[in-house]
Amino acid sequence: MARVVILGAGVAGHTAALHLRRWLGKEHDVVVVTPNSTWNWIPSNIWVGVGKMPESKVVFPLAPIYRRKGIEFHQAFATTIFPEGTAEDSSPQVEIRSSLPAEKGRTERLAYDYLINATGPKLNFGATEGLGPEGNSLSVCTASHATQTAREFEALIERLASGRRQTVVIGTGHGMCTCEGAAFEYAFNVEHELRERGVRDKAELVYLTNEYELGDFGVGGMSFTQQGFTTSSKTWTESLFREREVRAITGAHVQKVDPGVIHYEHLDGTEHTQDFDFAMLLPPFRGAGLTAYDREGADITDTLFAPSGFLKVDADYSGKPYEQWSAEDWPTTYANPTYPNIFAPGIAFAPPHPISVPRTSPNGTVITPAPPRTGMPSGIQARTVASTIRDRIEKGADARPHTASMARMGAACVASAGTGMRRGSAAAMTMFPVVPDRVAYPLTGRDTKGTSGEIGLAGHWIKAALHYLFLYKAKARPLWFLIPE
Amino acid sequence: MDTVTDSIAAAPLPTQKTLRRRSNLAFQLYRFLAINLKMVRVIVRGHG
Repeated sequence: MARVVILGAGVAGHTAALHLRRWLGKEHDVVVVTPNSTWNWIPSNIWVGVGKMPESKVVFPLAPIYRRKGIEFHQAFATTIFPEGTAEDSSPQVEIRSSLPAEKGRTERLAYDYLINATGPKLNFGATEGLGPEGNSLSVCTASHATQTAREFEALIERLASGRRQTVVIGTGHGMCTCEGAAFEYAFNVEHELRERGVRDKAELVYLTNEYELGDFGVGGMSFTQQGFTTSSKTWTESLFREREVRAITGAHVQKVDPGVIHYEHLDGTEHTQDFDFAMLLPPFRGAGLTAYDREGADITDTLFAPSGFLKVDADYSGKPYEQWSAEDWPTTYANPTYPNIFAPGIAFAPPHPISVPRTSPNGTVITPAPPRTGMPSGIQARTVASTIRDRIEKGADARPHTASMARMGAACVASAGTGMRRGSAAAMTMFPVVPDRVAYPLTGRDTKGTSGEIGLAGHWIKAALHYLFLYKAKARPLWFLIPE
Repeated sequence: MDTVTDSIAAAPLPTQKTLRRRSNLAFQLYRFLAINLKMVRVIVRGHG
């Protein structure tokens, strides 16, 4: 009998749990630990944030799904990993602290044979003074944040409708944020909704980003082939900004958010302010903050985790300069090199370096998007890790690991630019691979046949279809596993 | 005007014909199928 403990129930953790439960016999335990009681289809939070979708449509309770599937569920925070066990008990184990109010922080330890760290990120609002819903800006990172943002958005529309001019700022709240695509989506959904409500002329819309140029999206930009020409995602994205009259501030590191004023440093080292009446700024991410101890009780957190708090896996962490970056730097098995029965798919793994060109201001401030590893790549990595664990349980610990490198996999990304089955639109993008490979594809780093971008109503239909498909899959409804990650 | 504002101002502006095509139901149904096919290709390669 084997016991697999999964920390986190987002795209990566939930995907791994469902596949492992499907593949492994009932004599094996699949255990999920997550502080949240619900699963959230995060890509649709942007629609919640403009009041076009209720929160109830993007979340569902996890407990009934896990009860039905025979997955042990603990609503708790994972706090400490003991990968060698303890002096009293040699079983590898993880300490968890209940997040149920009735249990008042009760702790317990779960023994494991395999551990999947799929905690996702800690939303690090604290990295920027005044950032976040408890400070002076808004967020759509969680469903409840998005609901709060929707209320503020409605108040914004009322002010605009009363004839008051308003400045709306949407973007990233730190120089090392990721998920610029989400900020892009929210900016254009706001723009679309203001037009639909007849108040667009009263609003100045500003997109403030840590990207060096528009269209970077944290993946170093893309090149599309359209009508016989190769076009950069920069030109393609700027075209949308021109058409929809959205102003942009690029290469910005937000230093502080005061009520109504954003203070930021530009890549050229100069400092500026941007006034706002409504601001949605994404936070940077950190690892979940787990600690680790060896059998003797010595702190080995640095052995397991990078300084960012993300788990070290089979990536190249040598810190080599940009000119030497290669596709081979990126992990393939997502196993920790010291403790190979610990894995980290999705956001929880420590990336070797960014994908975008690293840039620092003359003041030494790093202003570079962190690499995105959400959505499709996250799901594929989780399935890959689950496949490795399944084989090792069924065939023995020497079974070869399955592999899935972000430098060998593509991604489909649909960035909403406004909702509505007749009047909506989205930018539908594909890229192959996610991490450019200059050796395999010397011209642009990516396969031009697998890399494309297109704006239109069809993109919205795809985004809407993905919403229903992935909720169906996550609810483990009949034949859910036929829906690919 | 700063650099990015200049750059946006010089970006290609879609024509009315392009904007109509982006919301034309028949054309977008065709594009829905075409984009899905592209995505399936990427997904199949990714899962390989």
